[in-house]
Amino acid sequence: MTNRFLLIASAILLTAIGLTWWLQSRQVQPVAITPSLTDQIEYCLTCHADLTEISPSHPVETYGCVLCHGGERLALDANLAHSSMRGGNNQSDLSVVEQSCGGSNCHSGESAEGQDHIQRVMTSIQSTYAGAIANVRYTYGAQTDLTPLFGSVAVNDTSLPSQTGILHLEAFAISSENNQFLQTFGENCLTCHLNSTGVEDSLSTRFTGCSACHSPAGESRAGEIHTLTTAMPYTQCNTCHNRGNYDLRTMTFVERSDEAVTRLESYYQPIGQFTQCEYSLDCVDCHTRTEAMGDGDIHANQKDIEYVQCKTCHGTLTELPLTMTLTDPEDIAFRLAQLNPLMDLQVGDTILVTEQGEPLWNTRLLPDGNYELIGKATKQLFIFRPVMGSACTQDGLEQSSAYCHECHAVEH
Amino acid sequence: MNLFSRRDFLKLAGQGFLVASGFFGLGIFTRFLGYQAEPTPPIEFDLGLATDYPVGSRTNLPEIPAVLVRSETGFSALSLACTHLGCTLEQEDNIFSCPCHGSHFDEHGMVLRGPAKKGLVMLRVEQNDQGHVILYAAS
Repeated sequence: MTNRFLLIASAILLTAIGLTWWLQSRQVQPVAITPSLTDQIEYCLTCHADLTEISPSHPVETYGCVLCHGGERLALDANLAHSSMRGGNNQSDLSVVEQSCGGSNCHSGESAEGQDHIQRVMTSIQSTYAGAIANVRYTYGAQTDLTPLFGSVAVNDTSLPSQTGILHLEAFAISSENNQFLQTFGENCLTCHLNSTGVEDSLSTRFTGCSACHSPAGESRAGEIHTLTTAMPYTQCNTCHNRGNYDLRTMTFVERSDEAVTRLESYYQPIGQFTQCEYSLDCVDCHTRTEAMGDGDIHANQKDIEYVQCKTCHGTLTELPLTMTLTDPEDIAFRLAQLNPLMDLQVGDTILVTEQGEPLWNTRLLPDGNYELIGKATKQLFIFRPVMGSACTQDGLEQSSAYCHECHAVEH
Repeated sequence: MNLFSRRDFLKLAGQGFLVASGFFGLGIFTRFLGYQAEPTPPIEFDLGLATDYPVGSRTNLPEIPAVLVRSETGFSALSLACTHLGCTLEQEDNIFSCPCHGSHFDEHGMVLRGPAKKGLVMLRVEQNDQGHVILYAAS
C-alpha cells in the first residue's frame, strides 16, 4: 500500500516537473536591465526592446522604465506588468506628473535653477484655462468681474509670494452652473487645456500634461509616440492654437475648414496678418519656456504672461534689442542649448534676451551687427538685422505686432 | 528458468522511479533555495596585469564605467557615472561631459559646469599577489 502511494506521489511529482519545464521552455526569456538610478533589475525591455529612446536626456540605461512610468518591473505578463503604471500610456498627465517626472533633481526642483517645471505648469494659463473660464462666466453674469475663480482643475499657488495675488482656483464644474450657456461651454469648449486630450479623431488630438507639447505626434497623429523634445514644431502648438473659432451663439467650437497647402496657410487660420518670420519660424523659436509653462503664479489672462514682441529680437529705432554676453559656464542658456544642440554656444557669445532676462539661446550677435537665429525644430539658419539704422519710421512706443504688420505683413 | 521475473522488473522499475523522483525533487529544491531574482551586479573587476598599463596611461573602462589612471605614484580610478543623475559620461580631450544634462568635469573629476554639484567619485584600486589590477566599483 505504502509502495503504491509512493509510486503515485512520484508520478505526480515527475509529471509536475515535466509540465513546469515544458511551460518554462515556451516562455520568453526575460531581457533584464538594471538602471543606474534605481539599481533595481527590470524586465520591461523583454517586450519593449524596439522602443526608441525617449530623449537623450533620459537614457534607458540610467532611468530604466519604471522610475517614470511605474508598473511591475519583474512581471513578464503584460497585464500584470502594466497594472500599476501611472497615467496609463501617458505618465506625464498632470494628475500623476509629480510622481512620474517630479523630484528635486528632476522637474520639481528649485525655481532659482529653473528646475520647477511642474509647479509652474500646474498654475499656468495652459493648464488652468482660468482666463477663458472667467471671461465666459463674467459674460453670462455668473461673476461680477474678470477675476479668475475657477480653473480646469482646482489649483493652489504654492510659489509664494504671488505677484498676481490669485492664490487659489476652484475646479470648474458644469453641474454648479445654472446658466445653460455656461453648461454648454463646459461640455464643448474645454478641450484646450493640459488636462484634456483635445477633440478626439481630429488634428487637435494629443496627450495631456507635459506630453501635450513635448511629445509631438507628427503628421499622422497615430501610433505609439515615445519621445520628449524641446524642439516642438508649430503643428504641436496648433493642436490648441489656430484651429478654429468659438461660436458664442451656440457655445460650440467650430474647427477651421480651410485646406492648408502652404506653411503660412497651415500655421494660421485665415483671419489675420502675419510677417514672414511669424510663420517661417516655429512658435518656440520666439516664445519662451516661461511664456509657455508659466512663472509659478496664477494668471488671469494669456496676455499677462506673453511678452515677446517683434522688438525683442529687432529692437526699435532708438534701441537695440536686449542682449547679454555669456560669461558664466553655469548660465541656464548652456543647459537649454545642450538639450537641443543646434549651435555651439560658447562663453563670450552675445545672445538676445527677453525683457524678463530669459536667454534666447538659439540666437547670437554676429560681428557685423546682425543676428543669427537657428530654428529649434527646422534647424534652419536665419540672419536678421536690428530696426535701428534701417528705413523704418515706426514710433518707439507703438510696438505691438499690429503696427509692424502695417508694413511687414506678407501681403505687403 | 527465468532469473529476472516480471515482478522483479516492476519492483526495480518502481525503485528507479522513486530514486529519479528523489533526485529531481532535490535538484528543484536546491534551485529554489539558490534562486536569485535579481542577481547582484559585479563590484570587483580584474583588469589584468599591472604591466599592461604604462605609467602616464589613462584607460577607459566602459563596462564599469570608469577611467583607470596610472601615474608615477600608482593606480587610481574615476567613476564615469555623472554625480547628477548617474548617466555615463563621455570623454573629449581631457573633459568628461554628460550627454544627458550637460555637466562637465575636468580630468581630475572636478565639476566645471553643472547641474552636477559634486565631483566624480574616486574608486578603490588594488594590486593582488599575482600582479593583477583589481578595481572595486563600489566603495
